[in-house]
Amino acid sequence: MVENPYCPVKAEITDIIEETPTIKTFAVKPEKPVSFKTGQFVELTVPGVGEAPFTPSSNPKIEDSMEITIMSVGRVTSRLHEIGKGAVVGVRGPYGTGYPLKDFEGKEVLIVGGGVGLAPLRSLILALLDEAGKYKRIMVKYGARSPEDLVYKDQLKEWAGNKDLDIEITVDKSGEDWKGNVGLITTLLRKDIGVDISNSAAIVCGPPIMMKFATFKLVELGYKDKDLFLSMEKNMSCGIGKCGHCRIGPYYACKDGPVFTYDKIKEYHTIWE
Amino acid sequence: MFAYGISKEYSLYYLRKGKGASPHIVKYSDGLKDPLIGGVRPFEPLKNFFFFARERVIDGLGRPADPKAGGKPLCVLGVKNCDLAGLNILDSVFSEGDFKDPFYVSKREQNLIIAADCTHAIDTCFCHALGHEHFPQKNHDVLISELRDGYLLESVTWKGKKLLNENSDILADSGEKHIEERDHIRSISGAQVEEGIKKSEIPRQTEYKDVIKKSLESEIWEREAENCVECGGCNVACPTCHCFYLADIQKKAGGETRYKIWDSCMYKRFARVAGNANPRQHLWERLRNRFEKKFDYFPEVNGLYACTGCGRCISGCPAKIDIRRVLKDLVAEKKKAKA
Repeated sequence: MVENPYCPVKAEITDIIEETPTIKTFAVKPEKPVSFKTGQFVELTVPGVGEAPFTPSSNPKIEDSMEITIMSVGRVTSRLHEIGKGAVVGVRGPYGTGYPLKDFEGKEVLIVGGGVGLAPLRSLILALLDEAGKYKRIMVKYGARSPEDLVYKDQLKEWAGNKDLDIEITVDKSGEDWKGNVGLITTLLRKDIGVDISNSAAIVCGPPIMMKFATFKLVELGYKDKDLFLSMEKNMSCGIGKCGHCRIGPYYACKDGPVFTYDKIKEYHTIWE
Repeated sequence: MFAYGISKEYSLYYLRKGKGASPHIVKYSDGLKDPLIGGVRPFEPLKNFFFFARERVIDGLGRPADPKAGGKPLCVLGVKNCDLAGLNILDSVFSEGDFKDPFYVSKREQNLIIAADCTHAIDTCFCHALGHEHFPQKNHDVLISELRDGYLLESVTWKGKKLLNENSDILADSGEKHIEERDHIRSISGAQVEEGIKKSEIPRQTEYKDVIKKSLESEIWEREAENCVECGGCNVACPTCHCFYLADIQKKAGGETRYKIWDSCMYKRFARVAGNANPRQHLWERLRNRFEKKFDYFPEVNGLYACTGCGRCISGCPAKIDIRRVLKDLVAEKKKAKA
């Protein structure tokens, strides 16, 4: 008997954290554990409304629950923002290939995030920090529109004091109390970034426009296409390579991605839209 | 007699002569009315019988729907090769890979296909250009060939063999002359397919390699998209188009159901993501995407063109977008670029 891949398991929302006015993190506890590798995604169902794909933002080591950080932008996400603790949702997955942690070992890992794009990267950062000794260095460059739009504010403070991690943050537009960097994410990708680029992997996740310019900047700095790991946001509906919505050239983002090295996808059109 | 026998075990569908060039698939009840065994492919694609236009896939969270629900398995009588070839694509999508679609898989196992030779061709037939014959090659259970004074039957699978055994009382042994007659009819209808290909100057599949890649920015796309009304008819009519969306519906009584429903890549929202980013904002990009999927994606991932030359999208298109013309122009453009 072939298992039904369209059927989610029931899950409970056990906690909700308000990150920004439009972004919330939901703690989700499925009836049966749904364990994932960092970078893999799940389809989250709001009963009777529909489902949407999200990459969990929590440590993949925790197998009986996950955290999912969600911005209210569409039909499913806006309904998610209306539900409360204790609500029942559905989870199916995990899908996709995830981040190839093995490829990062012994390297200087540069993580570049924009806005809510830090969500999947947080899961990656937590996984990397668990075995920090395996990586030569872990660097995070994070940009958001304004100080208010930064996600995981408490965790960012904690990371700032973590000796295993170099983190630098910038905002496009500062507020009154902001003493940090002001400028687009690309301003943090300076020539004097101090990375041994020949022994580095860069991981980029954020809104399409940020992904595009961050990728171009990293190439300009000397990164090889195969060392750039990009999270492609496409309309991943079935999650299993059947429904046809998330095609990029000869790939489906859901099963061949959503993380792709730039060399695999750069020749295909409309990857940044 | 034969049909009645089948109808006891299967929900039987057969081809009925229509007013237009194509017959229609109709459901059997109390005998066959104007049936057509040979002829050409029907108006409706075969995929309907394996990949329903709308099918319930879950009955609620944690409650998968039963793929075998819905009574007797289905049998289609008179299936033509362009539809059988379409199953190669659908099989690769739904029956292969890490995840399989239990709804499709169970129908492929249970349903019965009685396929038949094309006894003539119509204007839009061009299966040979895609390397497919005008008579059944694979994916069928029984082959039935219309002769002058009867039918020649041949079982292909155990299901087909079982059916013929059960009907042995109405079947007689065939001989060399029957096969000769079948081959003669095949040669006449085959020549008609060739004639159509010649008349419309349709290039053969050996010339399609990278034909879209070389013409990504071609004027052909905008020209063809100009009259497109985004009805999605080409997708519905196509024996290989497999895209679907999942729709969740809240029932009054509580429980929520999820349906798998045919989708169309010609619709603007097809590739759009939350927040409205859309890699195929323009209609011509969506039209190009449809061709890319058929003539670039499938050959690259599994070595098959996802077009079987059935011609349904040609007769079904209100904007008169003709896949043969597009292919002809793309191949010509590629040759010109080389020269």
